[in-house]
Amino acid sequence: MTETHDQAAPVKCRHCDKPMSTPMVCDYCHTVSLDATVADYFTLLDLPRRFDLDGEEIHRKFLALSRHAHPDFHAGDTPEVQQLHLRVSAVLNDAYRTLSDPASRAAYLLMLFGGKGSVEDKSVPDGFLGTMMMMQEELADALDTDDRAEIARITEVLQTQHDGLIRRIGTLFEQYQESISCKAVVDDLLGELRQQLNAVSYVKKLLSQATSAEHAHE
Amino acid sequence: MNDSLILGIDLGTTNSLAAVMRPGGPEIVRDADGAALIPSVIAFGDRKVTVGAEARAHAVENPTATVYSVKRLMGKSIADLTSDMDVLPYDVVPGRHDTVCVKVNGREMTPQELSAIILRDIKARAETATGQEISRAVITVPAYFDDAQRQATRDAGRIAGLEVCRIVNEPTAAALAYGLDRSENACIAVYDLGGGTFDVSILRVSGGVFEVLSTQGDTRLGGDDLDRELINLLTGEIRDEFGQGLTFPPATRQALRIFAEATKVRLSTESDATVEVDLGGGRVFRRTITRDEFESLATGWIDHTIEHCDRALRDAGLGPGDVDQVVMVGGSTRVPLVRRKTEEFFGRELYTAVNPDEVVALGAAVQAGILSGIKRDILLLDVTPLSLGIETLGGAVGKLIMRNSTVPCQATETFSTYVDSQTSVDINVLQGERELAKDCRLLGKFQLDGIPPMPAGAPRVQVTFLLDANGILNVSARELRSGKTASVQITPAHGLTRDEVDSMVQDSYAHAVEDLNAHRLIDLRNEAERILGAIEKSLQVTGRVLGDPQRRALDAAAGDLRAKMGRDDCDAIYEAMSAANEAAMPLTEAQMDDVLSKTIKGRKMDDV
Repeated sequence: MTETHDQAAPVKCRHCDKPMSTPMVCDYCHTVSLDATVADYFTLLDLPRRFDLDGEEIHRKFLALSRHAHPDFHAGDTPEVQQLHLRVSAVLNDAYRTLSDPASRAAYLLMLFGGKGSVEDKSVPDGFLGTMMMMQEELADALDTDDRAEIARITEVLQTQHDGLIRRIGTLFEQYQESISCKAVVDDLLGELRQQLNAVSYVKKLLSQATSAEHAHE
Repeated sequence: MNDSLILGIDLGTTNSLAAVMRPGGPEIVRDADGAALIPSVIAFGDRKVTVGAEARAHAVENPTATVYSVKRLMGKSIADLTSDMDVLPYDVVPGRHDTVCVKVNGREMTPQELSAIILRDIKARAETATGQEISRAVITVPAYFDDAQRQATRDAGRIAGLEVCRIVNEPTAAALAYGLDRSENACIAVYDLGGGTFDVSILRVSGGVFEVLSTQGDTRLGGDDLDRELINLLTGEIRDEFGQGLTFPPATRQALRIFAEATKVRLSTESDATVEVDLGGGRVFRRTITRDEFESLATGWIDHTIEHCDRALRDAGLGPGDVDQVVMVGGSTRVPLVRRKTEEFFGRELYTAVNPDEVVALGAAVQAGILSGIKRDILLLDVTPLSLGIETLGGAVGKLIMRNSTVPCQATETFSTYVDSQTSVDINVLQGERELAKDCRLLGKFQLDGIPPMPAGAPRVQVTFLLDANGILNVSARELRSGKTASVQITPAHGLTRDEVDSMVQDSYAHAVEDLNAHRLIDLRNEAERILGAIEKSLQVTGRVLGDPQRRALDAAAGDLRAKMGRDDCDAIYEAMSAANEAAMPLTEAQMDDVLSKTIKGRKMDDV
C-alpha cells in the first residue's frame, strides 16, 4: 500500500519560523496555529490519507496534540489566545471524532478523493433495499409487540451487516490506492464507496431505532 | 494575596464544600472544628442571613424563610417543578424568561442569587481557612446539567464575586481525584448519586489522561426522592390515623423532611428506625420503619439509575465486564440497596475507599490546579451530555452536535431568508435526544440581525455553534456573501440575560460582602437618604428655632450619617440614623407646631 501523505510545501511556524510536521502545533516552540482550522483532518493529525488506520495510533496522535491545544492549559493567557485554543481544540476534537469512527472516516476520505456526497448520490448496493425493508418490518413488529428477544436478535443482525459493509469499504479503498492512475476504475470505485456508505447510514439509522426503542421503555 | 489560588467548589443540593490544590495534592477546606460539609441551606432571619448548619437548625421554627435544595431550581421553569412544589415549604413563584423565584418575606430571589449566597459563604470560609483572598473558582455541576443549568451556576458564581474559571462535571471531578495518583490504564465507571441528582460517567484513564467516553443521568433523581418516598408514607399514615382532612403546616413539613432524612441515614446501618411526630394537641404519631420497607420504596428509583448505567455503557460501546473499577460518589451511595444493585449490575466489587462526600470537591481542586498551571501533566477530555440541535420547519429537530461529543466542539449551519429584504432570522436552539422540538429542552432563541437586504433565499448566514469546555454554548454568525458579522441576540429560555446577571453582580457589589443580609443595607441607605432630605427641608422651613449648639449638633449628626452611608456597616448606619433623628427632633417638633397652628388657624378661618 502506498502512503498518500500530502506533499505540499512544509508549513513553517509563524512564531519561530521552524518547519512543522503538523499544521497545528510547532514541534519546536509548541505554539498552536490557527492554520489548523483550515487543514484537512488527516494532515491535522499527522496521519496518512488512507482508510486503513490503526485506531490506537489515531488516538495517540489526538492525545499528543490535545496536550498543546486544550483550553485547560491556556486559562492564564489573554482572551485572544484562549479563544484560539478553544477554536483549534474544537476542530481537533471534530477531526478525532471523524477519523476514529470507520464509517465517518470513510465518508470524509471519499469527500477528499472527490467522490459524490450523500445528497447528490442516494443510491445503495443492489438488493440492499429489499433486505432492509424486510428488516425494518421485522423490527417494527418486534417493537409493537415489545419482543425484547427479537429486538436483540435484529440488533445483532444489523451489527453484522454494518461490520460487513465496513469491511467491504476497506477493500474498496485498497483497490482505489492500487488503481489511482486509472480514472475509469477510480470513478467506479468512488461510486461504489458512496453506495456502501449510504447503506451504512441506513443500517445505523435502524440500529439507533432498535436501541432507542429499548431505551424508551425505561 | 496569592493570585494563582483557585477554589474548587462542590455546590451540592444538600451539602456544599470546597477544596484547594496544594503542592502535595488537593486538600479539603475545613473550619476550626474540622468540619468541611456546609449544608446548602439559607435562613433569612429578621436581621441576619445565615448559611449552613446554623440555618438548617432553624428550619423547623422558621419554615417559610429557610431555603434548601436551591440546586433543584437552577435553570428550571415553574412547569418543571410541579412535583417539587408540594413538598417545598418555601414559596416558589414564576420568574422572568420562564424561570422561577423563591419568595421569602415578600422578597423574590432567583435561584442564582440564592446559590450566590451559599457560594459567598463558602468563599468567606475558605478565605478564613487559607488566609488568602479568593476571587476565582472551579464549580462542579451534575454531568447531565443542560446549558441553562450550567449558565445559572456560572451566573451564581459571578453574583457571588467569583470568576468561574470552569464548570466541571461532578463524576469527572471524582474521577480526577480518584485517578490522580494512579498510572495504570483502566476503564472506570463513576456512579454519582447525590441529594438531588444522579450521574454515571464512563471514563478511560491512562497516564494522566482522563477521557470521558459517555455520560448519562437524571438531574431530578437523588436522595431527596428517597426522602420523599418516606414523607409520603408518613403523611399517608398520619392522615389514616388522624383524619384525611389533616393539613400539614410548613413547620410540620420541614420536620417531616428532617425525620425522613434521618430515618434514611439510620436505615443504612440499622435494620429499623422509629419516627415520632408530635402533631400538637396531644396527637403523637409513632411508626417503626424497617430497612426492607424502605428498600421496597427505594427500589424503583435505584432501578432507574441502573438503567442509566446500562445506557452509558452502550453509548461508550462497552459492556459491564469491560469496567475495571466502579467509583461510588455522593452521600446517597451509602444506602445499602444502592451498593447491592450497582455491584450486581457491574458484576464486581465497588470502589468505596474515597469519601463520597469529599471526592468531588477534591477533583474540582485538581481541575483548579490544572487551570492555574500547578498541574501540567493531566489532560482532561470531557463530553457534552446532550445533543444540540435547531428547530427546523414543521417542529422537527436538526441535530448539529451529538451527545457524548468531546468538548470543546463546534458545528456550523447555513441559514437564509424567506422574504425579500429580510434582515433578521430567528433560530430556536434545543438540547435533547428526542426528534421533535417540543420534546426537547429549548435552550434559547437566537436572533441574527444585520443581514444585508437581499432577495429571499440569497443571503447565506453561516452560524457557528461552539460548545466550550464548560459545556456552555457560544453562537456567532457571519453572512457569507457580504462577509459581514451578523449580530446574535440571545433570549435564554430558562435563564437570565447578560444584562440581568450584570445588574445582579452590581447589586452584590453594592451589598456588603461580609453582611449577607445585603438587602438591609440598601434599605438602610434609602432610609438614611430620606432622613437627610427631610432634615434639609425642615432646616429651610423651621431652621430658625435651633440654637447654635443644637444647629452644630445637627450638622455633625447629618455629616456623620452621610459618611456612614458610604460604608457597608449596617449597624453604624442605623446608629447614625438614630442620632440624626434625635438631633433633628427640635426641628420636627417645631414643624409639628407649625402644622398644628396652621390647621387650627385654618379651622378658625373655616369657622368664620
